[in-house]
Amino acid sequence: MEKAYRRGSITAVRYGTPMEVPWFKAAIIGVGAGFVSGLLGVGGGILIVPALVLWLRMDPKLSAATSVATITVTAAAALITFGADDAVDWAAAGLVFIGSATGAVVGARYLDRIPDWLLAGVFSLVLTVGAFRMWL
Amino acid sequence: MEIIGYIILGLIAGGLAATLGIGGGIVFVPVLVSVFAFSQHDAQGTSLAIIVPTTAVATYAHARAGRIDWRLVATLGLGGVIGAVAGARTALVLEEDVLRRLFAILLIVVATRMAFKARSLYAVRTESQSGSDSGAVDRG
Repeated sequence: MEKAYRRGSITAVRYGTPMEVPWFKAAIIGVGAGFVSGLLGVGGGILIVPALVLWLRMDPKLSAATSVATITVTAAAALITFGADDAVDWAAAGLVFIGSATGAVVGARYLDRIPDWLLAGVFSLVLTVGAFRMWL
Repeated sequence: MEIIGYIILGLIAGGLAATLGIGGGIVFVPVLVSVFAFSQHDAQGTSLAIIVPTTAVATYAHARAGRIDWRLVATLGLGGVIGAVAGARTALVLEEDVLRRLFAILLIVVATRMAFKARSLYAVRTESQSGSDSGAVDRG
């Protein structure tokens, strides 16, 4: 554990040693991202990654890794709360997960043929339409 | 039939996640609501149930590559658990249409970010095609 720190992880944060992890700021980011995650049923990476990069001055790549690890913890807490209220379709979740794990590998290969700016643009439009449909 | 639909939803979301770097929740929730007729609450709970194993696998890969500082994650996670339980409790007491509109706001935020991303990706593409001059003007 000790060694792993010295080798890489913490040097990514601007602060030099593990003791200088900005606890207070990190806890605030956690609460904010966790709240959005629990409230809206998403991971919260949309908040965590920019916060780590802009506020804690972390390297973007490492902040993505940190974000994913954090989401596992916060989404699990939110999931337990939703599960206790019987608001989870476990079978559907399992099936989508199987597809998603495959899609991350296979789907990405096909989507790679579409220019990424076009993909992002179309996705943005689809989300906008979805937003209007959900609002109404 | 529904079984195939769920797997297709996963395939698309997984592909988009890998290509555009977005999380799955932003796709899962609206599709579960509008295509699979889930209530907003059930869609969100189910979305979380998909997210947890997905990020757990990704975390394992990142951890093996030494990219995770566990002390930082523990701090973020501690705050995150408090926020997540508070957020989930809030969601569960909110009316369905209120929650749906809150989600619509999130969609607009992500759509806006994605539009900017598309713009900058397009600028990079133009730049690499027609030289750095026009790209610089474009970005200004």
